[in-house]
Amino acid sequence: MDELIYTLKQQIIEALNLEDMKPEDIDENASLFGEGLGLDSIDALELIVMMEKNYGIKLQDPAKGKEIFKSVAVMADFIAKNRTK
Amino acid sequence: MMKHSVIITPEHVLVDGNPLMHNEKGSALLTELYRNHIGDYPKFFKMDTLSKLGFIASELLLNIEGDRDFEPREDRAVIFFNRSASLQADTHYQSTIQDPEHFFPSPAAFVYTLPNIVTGEIAIRNKYFGETSFMVIDDYDEQIIMKNLKNAFQDPITKSIIGGWVECSDEEHFEAKIFLMEK
Repeated sequence: MDELIYTLKQQIIEALNLEDMKPEDIDENASLFGEGLGLDSIDALELIVMMEKNYGIKLQDPAKGKEIFKSVAVMADFIAKNRTK
Repeated sequence: MMKHSVIITPEHVLVDGNPLMHNEKGSALLTELYRNHIGDYPKFFKMDTLSKLGFIASELLLNIEGDRDFEPREDRAVIFFNRSASLQADTHYQSTIQDPEHFFPSPAAFVYTLPNIVTGEIAIRNKYFGETSFMVIDDYDEQIIMKNLKNAFQDPITKSIIGGWVECSDEEHFEAKIFLMEK
């Protein structure tokens, strides 16, 4: 799981162009939106695309993103359980 | 009346006619200018090159005035012109949907497939609620640009304009010639 979390942090940085950030700067338990990383709704859509592209997960209900994108750790857990590639 | 001007090309930066020191060229120049003269707006890294160019040019322009209070105002318009619209962002977005086997439309890329997004970025950053527009013309034409900017002063609200030419055909070919104009 640690490896997946680290890879996920790298993929988030790349997908969202968080140029000044390194994986070590992201707390896997911190909130991705609002106070934490401060991502916005476009970033949420970009994360949905990234999950489909890299892990073959199609999020049928975008509202579910609210739970899944709570933190990197929650996201990694969801990916580990649902990935098809 | 023209108060201040900024010119940015892939190799030169002029602020009120004076060269601004830099080491980089092309798109790396825009990032260098961001890091050295702005630095507090990470959304910069998500912008397309056209928006980065307009944003950096406007920041350098507004920094000349100093005293940036970011108070909401509607008496300042942002009106730009160019030749290529947002062609570079359009092409980039198209590349994300070109292959039916790898069809991953990027929402962040799609956001920038309109040239007037750059005027919106500047308005959001500075809390400008006045006119924002981006006009696409055949080529740089000072007469057309000045005529349109003067027309913008016809309304009773607009007292100043950030206006001019913001053209970007790709990451290494761009030109901004913008100025701050007052009624």
